[in-house]
Order: sequence, then C-alpha cells, then structure tokens
Amino acid sequence: MRRAPLARKAALVAAELAVAAFVLVPFFWMVSVSLKPPDEPFAIPARLWPQDPTFENYIAAFRPEFRTYFLNSLVVSLTSVAITVGLALVAAYAFSRTKLLIVSGLLALVVLAQMFPHAAIIIPIYKMMRAGDLLNTYASLIIAYVSVTLPVAIWMLRGFLKGLPQSLEEAASIDGAGPFRVFREIVVPLARPGIIATAVYVLIVTWQEFLFALSFTSTRDMRTLPVGMNDFIGQYGIRYGELMASSVLISIPVVAVFYVLQRYFVAGITAGAVKG
Amino acid sequence: MATVTLNKLGKRFGALVALEALDLAIEDGEFLVLLGPSGCGKTTTMRMIAGLEEPTSGDILIDGTRVNGIHARDRDLAMVFQNYALYPHMTVGENIGYPLKVRGVDRAERLRKVEAAAAQVELSGLLLRRPAELSGGQRQRVALARAIVRTPRLFLMDEPLSNLDAKLRTVMRAELKHLQQSLGTTTIYVTHDQVEAMTLADRIVVLHEARIQQVGTPHEVYTRPANTFVAGFIGSPPMNLLAGEIRDGAFRHAAGTVPLAAAPRGEVVLGARPEDLALAAPADAHLTGTVFSSELLGDSTLVNVAIGDGLVAVKVGPDEGQRVGAAIGVRVAPAKTHLFAAEGGRRLETQP
Repeated sequence: MRRAPLARKAALVAAELAVAAFVLVPFFWMVSVSLKPPDEPFAIPARLWPQDPTFENYIAAFRPEFRTYFLNSLVVSLTSVAITVGLALVAAYAFSRTKLLIVSGLLALVVLAQMFPHAAIIIPIYKMMRAGDLLNTYASLIIAYVSVTLPVAIWMLRGFLKGLPQSLEEAASIDGAGPFRVFREIVVPLARPGIIATAVYVLIVTWQEFLFALSFTSTRDMRTLPVGMNDFIGQYGIRYGELMASSVLISIPVVAVFYVLQRYFVAGITAGAVKG
Repeated sequence: MATVTLNKLGKRFGALVALEALDLAIEDGEFLVLLGPSGCGKTTTMRMIAGLEEPTSGDILIDGTRVNGIHARDRDLAMVFQNYALYPHMTVGENIGYPLKVRGVDRAERLRKVEAAAAQVELSGLLLRRPAELSGGQRQRVALARAIVRTPRLFLMDEPLSNLDAKLRTVMRAELKHLQQSLGTTTIYVTHDQVEAMTLADRIVVLHEARIQQVGTPHEVYTRPANTFVAGFIGSPPMNLLAGEIRDGAFRHAAGTVPLAAAPRGEVVLGARPEDLALAAPADAHLTGTVFSSELLGDSTLVNVAIGDGLVAVKVGPDEGQRVGAAIGVRVAPAKTHLFAAEGGRRLETQP
C-alpha cells in the first residue's frame, strides 16, 4: 500500500481533531461546570476550567432521591432491554429467514413504525396508558420504551442474522435438531455480538429518555434519572453546578457500557449493510 | 443402510427449472456420485433428499418409504457441507457429539462414540479445540466425524473436498473412499470434479441442464459416453470431438479421413480420447495439422494439434514432445473411436 504524503496525513489528523473537539466541547463544559462552585458558572469573563475545582456539586447531587431515581432508571431500562431484545430476536429471525412477500410488507411496516417522532405518538400512548390505568407505573414506561426501540432493534438484528451462514442451521437440523433447538443452540449463540449491540442501543435510548418519563410519571418515587434532573431547575433559578454533576453521574454507566462493548456495537450497525 | 428411490423428482424456482423429472434408484451400500457443471441440478437433488428443499414434483423414497414433507431431522441421515458448517461456538468434541446430544444419547456413551469417531479420522488430540483453530483439512475431518458418529442410514456429501488444496484433496479422497467401504453406508456425493467422481463412485450420474445425461459405472461412463456432453465432460483432458461426415466407409473431415467399417452414414461427431490417438508423420496420418502446444505432464506429454479450426489433444510418451508450429499428423485407432449424432449429440452404436 502506498503511504499518504505527510502533508495530507497531517491535514487529515487536524480535521479529525477538529471534529473530535467539536463533539466533545459540550461534554467538557458539562464536566467543567460540575466542578465549579455555585457562583462561578456566571462569572464574567467565563473560565474554561474552574479556578478551584470542587466536588461540592457531586456531594449535593447524591441526594437520597438520586438513589430512588437511579433504581427506577435501572429497573425500567434493563427490563426494556430484556423485553425488546427478546422480542426483536424472534422477530428478526423470522424476518431474516422467510421469503414470503407478506413478510417484506410487514418489514416495511416495522420501518414505518419507527419514523413517527416521539412527540407525535406521546399523547395517544398517554391516553392508552390512562385507559389501562398504567400511568405512574414502571409498566407504562417499559411498554412505551419497548414500542419505540423495537423497530430499530428488529432491523439491527435482522441485518446481523442475515449475515450468519444458513448452512449451520441446515447442518443442525440434519443432525436432528428441531426448529426451536436450532434457534436456541445455534442461532442465538452465534448472534451474540448482534444481541449485545442491540442491547446497548436499547440501553442508551432508554437510559436517557426524558419525554415519556416526564409525561407518564407524576410522583417523585417513580421518576427516572433524566426527569429527576428537573429538580435542579426551580421556579426561581437553575442550579447549574448540581445539574451538571448529575449529568456526569448519569452518563458514567452508559459510557462505561459503551466503552466495553463498542466493538460489538459498530459490528452490529454495519452487519448486513453491505449485502441484502 | 438404505436404498433411495427418486420418482420423477422435479424442482422449480419460479420460472427456473432446477431439476426435470429425475428417475433414479440408489442401491443399499452404494457410493453414488452426482456429477455435473454448476447449475446442473446436482446440489438441488441432494438438498431435496436431505429435506432442506421441498420438491415441486415427484417423490423421494428412502427404504421404500415416501419422505416428502418429512423434516430433515427425521430422515436419519448425515450430511457433509461444502463449507463444513461446523458450529464455531462449540469445540471439536461438541461438534462431533452434537447429533448424539440432540438425540438424547447420555454423556458417557456420547464421549465414547465421539472418541471412536475422532480416532477413525485421526483427530484424537484435537477434541478440545475450536473449529477456528484448525486447518482446512482438520475441519474437513471434523465434518466427517460428525457424519459418522451416529450410524445414519445415508451419507450426503456436497462437494466436501472442493475447499482443500490439490494435495490434501487426493489424500482425503482416498480416506473417504476407504471410510465409506469400511462402513458400508449408502452415500450420495455431489461434485463437479470428474476425477473425484471417477475415483470414488460405484456409479456416476452425469447431470446437465436439469437432466440426467448418463448413469453408469465410472468405466461405462468413460468408455461408452452416452452423448457428446458426457464425452466432453469426463476425462482429463476430455475426449476430442470432431464434426464431419461419414461417406464410403470413412469419416471425412476437412483435415483428413479416418476409415471406419460398419459405420452409419451422414453427418456425425467423431470422438477419440487423447490416449487413443498417436502422432505420426503427416504423410501416413489420418488427420493433419500443426503443433499448437506441447506440455510435459511428467509421465506423459500432452500435444495439442491445431486441426481445422479446433484443437485435438494427443497424449504421448514423456519424451515425444513436439516443436510448436511443426506440421504433424494424427493417427486414429478406428476401434477406439466413438460416434455421436451431429444433431443432439446422442451416441451412435457402431459395435454390436
């Protein structure tokens, strides 16, 4: 392979750094503000980095409510992940292995379903939740999250499953395995990277979701972390330091999960992108 | 052990005819090779016998019982795939033992059988490895071991050697033949490689364009090809085919004549294998041309002679190489020629 000329390489690196900086500035600002004492965010001229970094805001952010919100977020997110991935896996398998015309029609419907903006469907879903007496429960959020993440999850897993060689499933059925056994013992283990990628996607979406959580919960003990951040936005002022400290705390689990599993995530998104 | 009977078996994919009403009876313990170029319907035939594909017409009978619509797992057979289809998330031992595990064989029994099967294909030290850690030849052996670990009624093999390099292929071919003979299990083997077909088969079924061209022992198919397709497909290099006319007891071609007694009259295709031809001075040869190429193969030399607008391959001794461009003649042994109808290419019988 021919090596790129040095100048070109330097320009490329500079461009990459610029993009990275552009993307990271808000995060840097978030961390910076979270470390500033209460009066400093408004100091003029503004400082990029606090003069005396303090963990005051973090201590304040770790209120007793934080524990409740965190647990609520955890329950809602993990349950949504489990249900979405489970349903998506079965649906994606059917979509990837059936050639019937009606199936491609259904697949188009799935794609269509994820095109509605959340703001457009939130009121109908709210009404349904009220009719089902589910408002202010975990179930209301889990049902909403599953329904908004399922289409993309199906699409991701379908792409992944299509990439698996079908001869493995054929070999297993000749070896004596029935369809469910083939699915359980051959397809699911081989689809693991795709399953992980899909799970990470659902986790990221549900962990940070605000609109549904705000609309469907009414009492403090049912709030999730993103809604809980509202506490810092009062009628008479916004406590930026504590808000940003909470933001940092909320981001940590998702960043950690993504960091550990990023290779699966990239693989899952691109699988099936080049063929079929 | 099983017999397999195919009655008017056919398969269409939409407008495409993959297989046209195939009739075939496979005997118990037979090693049957389905041979043909890609797209001839051989793999489709095997997949229908396996239960991976449903026929669109006709019946499949295993041991006299119709198996159409019966799931692959209930047909009691084993298959070796072209890409081996090993389960990448299982060890070699688990791969080989999978058919037993699925059928509920208990652990101790399973271990014993896996070890026996592995020993039979010389894999014993590798049972704990994963398929990804094996060479192509070893993966091939795992696939074989998985097929023989149970005693199925039928082995199906879909081009099992085509992903191996030439040297390994020769070794595995011999092992496969030995294994099948010692087990005595009815085997159906798909290949496009006529050398594999010749060396392995009890009987060869030559398929082309969704139809059977010929069914016979390797000897029959080689010495009495049923038509020009089979003649041109079997043999390496294949049979020379020359279009010409028979008149006055001789085959007449632009490049010469070959005397043929008791031959039919009219337009024909004359076939002669490279080893049944000889080189001669142009003056006392049947056909004349110029040397196009001369290739030393080690035990023999293959001389291609440009005759008319085609090439005729002649197999001669290792030190009978020719200078390219030289004028040369080809002698034909009349008793070792084959005649085919000019129209349709069907074999014309000359000898009683």
